[in-house]
Amino acid sequence: MSASELVRLALSRLAASRMRALLTMLGIIIGVGSVVALVAVGQGATAGISANLQSLGTNLLTVNAGASTSGFTRGAFGSATTLTVDDAAALAELDGVAALAPELSTSALVTAGDANETASIVGTNEDYARVRNYTVWQGSFLNGVSVDAGLRVAVIGSDTATNLGLGASDVGSDIRIAGIPFQLVGILQPKGTSGAASNDDIVLVPITAVQHYFNATDSVRSIAISVATSEQMDTVKAQATTLLRERHAIASGSSDDFTIADQAQLLESVDSISSLLTILLAGIASISLVVGGIGIMNIMLVSVRERTREIGIRKAIGARGRDILAQFLVEALTLSVIGGLIGVFLGVAVSMVVGQVAGWGFQFQPMTVLMAVGFSLLVGVVFGVWPARQAARLDPIVALRYE
Amino acid sequence: MSATLLAPSVEGRTGPAGWDHADASPTADHALIDIRDLWRVYHLGSVTVEALRGVSLQVHQGEFVAIVGPSGSGKSTLMNIIGCLDRPSAGSYVLAGTSVEGLSDDELARLRSREIGFVFQSYNLLARTSATDNVATPLLYQGVGRRERIERSRAALTELGLGERLDHLPSELSGGQQQRVAIARALVTNPSIILADEPTGNLDTASGVEVMARFHALHRQGRTIVLITHDHEVAAQAPRQVHVRDGQLV
Ligand SMILES: Nc1ncnc2c1ncn2[C@@H]1O[C@H](COP(=O)(O)OP(=O)(O)OP(=O)(O)O)[C@@H](O)[C@H]1O
Ligand SMILES: [Mg+2]
Repeated sequence: MSASELVRLALSRLAASRMRALLTMLGIIIGVGSVVALVAVGQGATAGISANLQSLGTNLLTVNAGASTSGFTRGAFGSATTLTVDDAAALAELDGVAALAPELSTSALVTAGDANETASIVGTNEDYARVRNYTVWQGSFLNGVSVDAGLRVAVIGSDTATNLGLGASDVGSDIRIAGIPFQLVGILQPKGTSGAASNDDIVLVPITAVQHYFNATDSVRSIAISVATSEQMDTVKAQATTLLRERHAIASGSSDDFTIADQAQLLESVDSISSLLTILLAGIASISLVVGGIGIMNIMLVSVRERTREIGIRKAIGARGRDILAQFLVEALTLSVIGGLIGVFLGVAVSMVVGQVAGWGFQFQPMTVLMAVGFSLLVGVVFGVWPARQAARLDPIVALRYE
Repeated sequence: MSATLLAPSVEGRTGPAGWDHADASPTADHALIDIRDLWRVYHLGSVTVEALRGVSLQVHQGEFVAIVGPSGSGKSTLMNIIGCLDRPSAGSYVLAGTSVEGLSDDELARLRSREIGFVFQSYNLLARTSATDNVATPLLYQGVGRRERIERSRAALTELGLGERLDHLPSELSGGQQQRVAIARALVTNPSIILADEPTGNLDTASGVEVMARFHALHRQGRTIVLITHDHEVAAQAPRQVHVRDGQLV
């Protein structure tokens, strides 16, 4: 019997009991659907996080005050006061440093007319836009003169502008930060969110102004360094470490009182963590595939019993054992493959919706789909073969007499 | 068998094809169906039922034989063995020169598919399958293409007066109509041997006569027909009658 005859036979059989077929396929549908959806969501999330990290700046090194603890968690992040403006100036002299921006942040109430919000105020220099990948939408960015002089000027993020009801025409007007008037010189292009924090709800002022008006200190929270080329990342990182240890007079053997985070490293870690999670989730989902397969086997075994007489008749009129085997196996395969295809469809639909909502879009993954369908085929064979063999082995006379 | 034993000594170097001609007892070796001392014993727990007890029967190519006997005498059991559906417990069955004993299940299936048309006592139609598809199914196992299957199936059904019932399910047909579908299914493959277990049992007299006319026509075409019946009138139409009682021929 040809494959098309077998499939036709199986389809007409399934069409005769659609509800049962659907319920039998449900396990496979859920299994394949969740594998496809979870893998797609996992990959989408990874891509989204990576894109966000990249938008923070290319070839970025971030020097943070305070010693590192194990792995990613950093004790009392940002509370240490070991980095100074002079450290930043010294680092700027290193070979391979294309741009450098110290960051001294605080948060304060920002007022513009009747509107106000509590925003994060970042004191920095004119290189911040370059290091952190910001572009100016209206007006201009901070410049060397205002940074050196500690002028009361501010550049705000797009979200801050929206929240305060400020537009292009407001550039040049005054806003108040903790009651102190600052001139609004520029509004930034929106950049998007990274994790929970918005990159666009931000007020940038000269670091000197922060020191003067809000936080009379010489220390900075962090220093962002843009390295000229990605090949120089490691050298610059090493040189920066040596330089800072010297400046902070750290004896060899003692640990650093600062940490240098490497963006590439961060990306790698994010990638490996999220792919681990994806594999884990897909693994859990594939358990439901196996459960679905057992469901198919169960129904096929029942079906062989119910159709014993049919099997006897078919054998009596010329079917060989292998014809019966093929018939039942193809029936199981048809169930699992149709279930798999429905599952793929649902999984893709779910991941499209999730991608849409989360904003990382949707990438069709033919590989995942192929694997899901292949896996459901495998499930069909593995769990269909035994019932089919039971059917093929029936003695025609015994089967014909079966009531 | 005698043929295989005798052949070398009588004709020296004759091959297998020559054995038939070398045989001394033509009735035994020219028989299409050659059954010798056949037993069929069923074991039901501690009870054993001897459905056939030493049956010997030879049917020649082109013969029309009626098997008659009371209910439970073993007619259907004998028919199942002749039709290669069942295997004997003891004794030998040689079909067209081949000992059935040595054949695998697949080879038996092939014999059933190519050589034998079976009309069962209880129709044994596939439920939830149209008359056309029921009759087409034996052709499916011969590897005949779908279009030809349907054509031949419709032709066979139409010949048996079921041209109006092609797409009916067995459950939508009367007993007699189901019987005729079963006959069409047996005939559609043009088998050389037709085995019919009570083919007229559920038919009215007119249909019964028609079906018998069909068997006579097939007989004239040279088919071998073995027919089981209770009806002595039907049996009387067959050139040869075999009587079974308590698992033995009488
Ligand atoms: N599978 C079986 N297991 C046990 N006994 C069986 C089996 N099949 C048949 N028999 C017994 O073998 C005997 C012969 O049965 P068979 O069906 O051949 O009778 P029959 O001559 O065809 O009768 P009828 O005319 O009623 O169809 C009966 O006594 C029956 O009970
Ligand atoms: Mg009977």
